Amino acid sequence: MIHTDKLLDAKGLACPMPIVRTKKAMNELEPGQVIEVQATDKGSLADLKAWAKSSGHQYLGTSEEGDVMKHYLRKANASEEKEELQYPHTITNDDLQQQLGRDDVIILDVREPAEYAFGHIPGAVSIPLGELENSAAQLDQNKEVLVICRTGNRSDFAAKQLAEKGFSQVKNVVQGMSEWNGPVEQN
Amino acid sequence: MAGKTAIIASNGTLFDAYKVYNIATAAAASDHEVAIFFTFEGLNLINKEAYDQLALPEGKEQIAEGFKNSNVPAVPELVEMAQELGVKFIGCQMTMDVFGLQKEAFVDGIEVGGAVTFLEFAKDADVTLTF
Repeated sequence: MIHTDKLLDAKGLACPMPIVRTKKAMNELEPGQVIEVQATDKGSLADLKAWAKSSGHQYLGTSEEGDVMKHYLRKANASEEKEELQYPHTITNDDLQQQLGRDDVIILDVREPAEYAFGHIPGAVSIPLGELENSAAQLDQNKEVLVICRTGNRSDFAAKQLAEKGFSQVKNVVQGMSEWNGPVEQN
Repeated sequence: MAGKTAIIASNGTLFDAYKVYNIATAAAASDHEVAIFFTFEGLNLINKEAYDQLALPEGKEQIAEGFKNSNVPAVPELVEMAQELGVKFIGCQMTMDVFGLQKEAFVDGIEVGGAVTFLEFAKDADVTLTF
């Protein structure tokens, strides 16, 4: 069970209804929010991938339960691609790879749960940006925290938040998961 | 708008309705600007008295069962959805004259125009289809 912002039941519907319903549901979401689309139309997998690509939304992945496919998509967030980073301490993907496996380093993944579920760095801790305010206390302040998201933008906000909360060793991973070519695990 | 799709609907069986409206709604849902030019028997697809009881092509009557089983939406439902998504319907004036039909015979919200009306829309379309 992956937490999402909206569930769309398109089970039993034939093409092109799953796409049409997804389009309508997407209009009601805020940028950055995640939707789960349940469908039984076998063509919906290829169609939703193509639709996401042409409409600029992010296709996260699909899990299957019996005849039901659960597709996860995240609504495009234009500001995420453009805003300038403000938190000064950064680390590149390559340098992050060198840090893997160290037990005095926490890799904090601030993407949405569905993004995390379909591919994250092994051992990365998942706290979505929106929950960081309330959940930061579960992190060990004595460790170095490397914050990652998809493109380095949400992690920029998160790094700032952590620094304000008193974390002294925080770095934002620029580039982020969209260009990550190191090890990945799913769950 | 991510693109522009221009469709000519010139045939009037149930198969034609699904070919036309499935592509049209899928394109509209993908943020295409879409227009359908209904001409000759294609006018059946927007004719208020015909569009909810379109015939299957001759010799294909056994497919009716398949339509029922695969839960495809009814044609009027597709028409409503297409219009809701902003698909523009253009009825061909010349064919309407030939068939003796007035604008009132068709679903609400259609435009009536001639070949040039459609060509004007289609001249810079990314996708052009004829059914």
